Amino acid sequence: MTVRTELQPTFETVAWRWMRYSGILLIPLAWIHVLIQDVLVGVHRIDIDYVAMRWANIGWQVYDILLLAFAFAHGMYGLRQVAVEHFPKARRWLSVVIFLLWIVVSIIGAVAIIAGARPELA
Amino acid sequence: MAAPSSATRTTLTGYALYKGREGQYAFMLHRLTGLGTLLFLIIHILDTSTVYFFPSLYEEAIAIYRHPLFMMGEIALVFSVIYHGVNGLRIAILDLWAPSKWTINFSRNTVRGTLFLSLILWAPAGAWMFYTMLQHSFPDILRSIGLGG
Repeated sequence: MTVRTELQPTFETVAWRWMRYSGILLIPLAWIHVLIQDVLVGVHRIDIDYVAMRWANIGWQVYDILLLAFAFAHGMYGLRQVAVEHFPKARRWLSVVIFLLWIVVSIIGAVAIIAGARPELA
Repeated sequence: MAAPSSATRTTLTGYALYKGREGQYAFMLHRLTGLGTLLFLIIHILDTSTVYFFPSLYEEAIAIYRHPLFMMGEIALVFSVIYHGVNGLRIAILDLWAPSKWTINFSRNTVRGTLFLSLILWAPAGAWMFYTMLQHSFPDILRSIGLGG
């Protein structure tokens, strides 16, 4: 006989599911970004005017905000998983440091995307 | 810096000694490509943010990306993003919708499949990026083999 038990979801089990959901979403989101910027356009044609032109379009701003939110959270949670597995005794402070780094870099990136490029100051 | 904890040593020697074959290689490659992509992502978010915070620095930042060595790194990055996505999709599908399929044999076959699919998707993108790198950094090499320039 199989007994099914319902466990109260914890932060770790919710995060486990979200690593899979965000990962699936990131396949189109990140792949299209890499395909356009790295393969089709290429770094030799990217400059501040190009970034300004892209972020003048609200659609690309939303796209990049979503990419920043999902890709960076996914990556930083993954780093935290690897880090606490290798250094279980430092679990608490590793989690705090990685969380703070995630918040700070996310805010910096989001401010830049929303405020846009300033090619006139370049 | 203190010596690595015994748990760390156990994990690292575990990576080397555990004979998990395909499943273990996929696990290690998934971590390696994920951490590599994350390292690039942190640098990429911060340098792109200069377009708003320090606009005069952006040109210098993008010049680093145009260096042939960095471009070789970008070709590796594209493989990482493709492999991490394909293998991640394998993990997500098995975990969320078909956990009973997590058997050794099925796992080994799907690991080979994900690597094959990743290489197929990466080859044209990597080749094109390598060509653009030669075009900008070593046009003479392209001319000498009769590929314009």
